[in-house]
Amino acid sequence: MELQRQDYDQVENTVRAVLRDVLGLSEARAAAFDESTPLFGALPELDSLAVAGVLTEIEDRLGILIEDDEVDGEMLESFGALTRFAATKALG
Amino acid sequence: MIDHYDWAGGREAMLRFGPDTGPVVVAALPLFEEANRTRAFVVTILRALADRGIASALPDLPGQGESLVPTQEVTLRDWQQAFGAAAASLGNPHTVAIRGGALITPGARRKSSWIFAPVDGSALVRDLQRARQITQPKAPLLMDLATTAPAGTRTEAAGIGLSVDLLHLLVHAIPDRATPNRLTRLESDPEEANAKFPGAPLWRRAEPDNDPALAELLADDIAAWVRACEG
Repeated sequence: MELQRQDYDQVENTVRAVLRDVLGLSEARAAAFDESTPLFGALPELDSLAVAGVLTEIEDRLGILIEDDEVDGEMLESFGALTRFAATKALG
Repeated sequence: MIDHYDWAGGREAMLRFGPDTGPVVVAALPLFEEANRTRAFVVTILRALADRGIASALPDLPGQGESLVPTQEVTLRDWQQAFGAAAASLGNPHTVAIRGGALITPGARRKSSWIFAPVDGSALVRDLQRARQITQPKAPLLMDLATTAPAGTRTEAAGIGLSVDLLHLLVHAIPDRATPNRLTRLESDPEEANAKFPGAPLWRRAEPDNDPALAELLADDIAAWVRACEG
């Protein structure tokens, strides 16, 4: 259980770093993201082209493959939703 | 200084930096929208190389940057030929390629190849497809168009005009494997490399950005590599 928590935290840190790097957010702004922080539609930096960049960068850094039919509004709704999606993919 | 080079399809602009003598580096920008996002960054690297006494050139490719050729009319082979002509106009240069630029440099006669964060052509097509899917969810897949649509068909993704002929070659294109070859990446990239550097993937930013600290580190690495290759 302890190990799973660590793995989840690692995925969360990766997703946070991707959002910071791809969207050009400040360290402080990215660090303030929590489970319920809304993303798509709420962050002006996250337009449709940026969504493509965020997903591809998450794939590269976590070594996962996101199928095109898995991309929907729900997974991009909040920081928590995106992290859970990535963690399910990365940790199985 | 703004110079030019001629290739079979016409004439394109080429920026020149640094001294008139000594080794020359010719740089290949990333492809498509990534070129616009990284141009200032690459110019910063080339200026830093000039500070280290190494000359360089940054050719515009047909259909990219300031080129008058429409993007829908170019193929990967045109880019390789144009880049090859630009390189030949500089003698026997060293190439520096970032991201999809490493798919273009195999067209050039070159003394060595230095590569940062290379990407397969298929991954670029996938990026284009993903952006296209978010804006036009019902449009046919680019991967399918690349294999089934007749030659000369034109399409677009995220506002970029594309020919099927370009996609067809791009899906199979792999980064430069010339030797001697030095492969570098960002620290956040888990793939193998000769060296890794701290920084963010500027080619993904919605707005063009720069990273002078990373540019200095890369210029140090390129300068040491070029001098080692020159013996």
